[in-house]
Amino acid sequence: MSGSRGYRPESPALEAWRMFRRNVPALVGTVLLTIVSAATLYGAFFFDGNPYEIVWAPHEPPGATAEFPLGTDYLGRDIVAGLLTGGGPTLAVGAAAAAITMAIGVTLGALAGFHGGWVDNLLMRFTEFFQVLPALLFAMVLVTLFSPSLTMIAVSIGVVSWPQTARLTRAEFLKIKELEYVTAARAIGARDGRIMWRVILPNAMPPLIVSATLTVGVAILFEAGLSFLGLGDPNVMSWGLMIGANREYILDAWWPVTFPGLAIFLTVFAVSLIGDGLNDAFNPKLRER
Amino acid sequence: MTSLLEIEDLRVTFRTRHGELTALDGVSMRVEAGETLGVVGESGCGKSITALAVMGLVPDPPGKIAGGSIRLDGEELAGASPRRLRRLRGAEVAMIFQEPMTSLNPVFTVGDQIAEAIMLHQKVDGTRAFKDAVALLERVGIPSPDLRAKDYPHQLSGGMRQRVMIAMAVSCRPRVLIADEPTTALDVTVQAQIFDLLNEIQREFGAAIILITHDMGAVSEMADRVAVMYAGRVIETASADDVLDFPQHPYARGLIDCIPALGREDRELKEIPGVVPPLHLLGDGCAFAERCEFRFDRCDTEKPLLNRKGHHPAACHAVEEGRI
Repeated sequence: MSGSRGYRPESPALEAWRMFRRNVPALVGTVLLTIVSAATLYGAFFFDGNPYEIVWAPHEPPGATAEFPLGTDYLGRDIVAGLLTGGGPTLAVGAAAAAITMAIGVTLGALAGFHGGWVDNLLMRFTEFFQVLPALLFAMVLVTLFSPSLTMIAVSIGVVSWPQTARLTRAEFLKIKELEYVTAARAIGARDGRIMWRVILPNAMPPLIVSATLTVGVAILFEAGLSFLGLGDPNVMSWGLMIGANREYILDAWWPVTFPGLAIFLTVFAVSLIGDGLNDAFNPKLRER
Repeated sequence: MTSLLEIEDLRVTFRTRHGELTALDGVSMRVEAGETLGVVGESGCGKSITALAVMGLVPDPPGKIAGGSIRLDGEELAGASPRRLRRLRGAEVAMIFQEPMTSLNPVFTVGDQIAEAIMLHQKVDGTRAFKDAVALLERVGIPSPDLRAKDYPHQLSGGMRQRVMIAMAVSCRPRVLIADEPTTALDVTVQAQIFDLLNEIQREFGAAIILITHDMGAVSEMADRVAVMYAGRVIETASADDVLDFPQHPYARGLIDCIPALGREDRELKEIPGVVPPLHLLGDGCAFAERCEFRFDRCDTEKPLLNRKGHHPAACHAVEEGRI
């Protein structure tokens, strides 16, 4: 400790950032995600092409025409236009589904872990009920029953993926609530709600942030899977929808499914690298490496 | 005459796989404003459970207060509503923990944590509370408190952290301050500083201090009166001087003999053989009998109660019958 001169307090978040910065794969992930996000933002706000518009002959291979560098799909629609405009909805569904997952999972997991006893039992049986449902099938049922809108897709992904988050949160709460600073918080007269959300939750955040990041990737894959099966929102261009629409012609034309597939792969890969990097940065046992 | 804090015949039980165990078996003690009561005993004797019971923090389940009373200035705390107990915690009765390393929340600055304790019981805004927190840090002897208030716990040394805990505990000027082995985790030189600080704080705020410790040295330095505990009972109680100079109960004698004395090379450092028996193996007799050199037949059949046959109250058949 360097005394009071020239000594600047460093917050745990800042320390984690310094760890993260030294992690090459995580930086690669960050760069990739930045590129994807930039292209998506451009597609959402500045690109004026219409991805639904038939602009050329169908199944024009990539590189054949300078105007359509990635070719056209089975209806003669520009694939570049599809990729640029499809990124926004894809990422939005991923983020929204992850947010819903966290909201349900953290709330139920926290209540179960903190209160224990019958509350824990009840909530965990409820969680297990959702956990044993085949996730993709259940999501398909939800989307089929209600409208296949983007919102509904995000909700159904959230509804099938929260149990894991709930279990993780519960485990963290069970561990942290036994620590002395929680007793110390009680000893100064803090009430249960404050202890849960202000004392325990901030200390449980690192694994939850990692889990949330990875959930974004899983949710994007889920959306692609649903769209591939024809359950995407037909009114909103997304990468999954592009794959789904062109899958019948995959033997005649590889490019209309490959490029959106690559876009999904790169995005999920980037998100996973970031998630891993955060995991290393938050985990003090890995810090010395 | 009522004392500030009176514990009378307190029983705390825990439900375990060995059945219902009695962790505190009729514990009585009292402490006055401005006085320090030392509660002495080895691990597992019930010192900390007594403290938790006063704070209303006995984990329930499995534990519960099965009988007796805890009165703060005449108000009954055993069986008081959780709401009332929460109001009292921190404001009227505060606690300092053994491990300053782990009893501060690692993700908030120490200034924020003290400010939060203040805001829990006083109607002040955040800025005001933070200013008060800085003032408290200065009061407990932390240099450049305005800078240190923005530090996270892991950036402070153990002694500094214990000072922060003390600042937090006295932030609402509690009438009773429970210190559960406040110096066990600290260097000896830092220990002395913390004791000095506690004494100063007591003079300034007039709080009653319950000092829980297994260190007789700490008792001789801090305590006005002493209660020696063993296996969930108070087995000897008197002024600190009396207990230190004329220990009655064989266990108390043992504890005093365990204090190393500088420059006394003629005397070998003694130890008390054996360990505290597990609660579920306690029989009808005296819990200390197994380890006692004065054991006789009555010790195996009858639990001794506090009696005044010796120099001061002690719970020992041998003392009662004048055998020691």
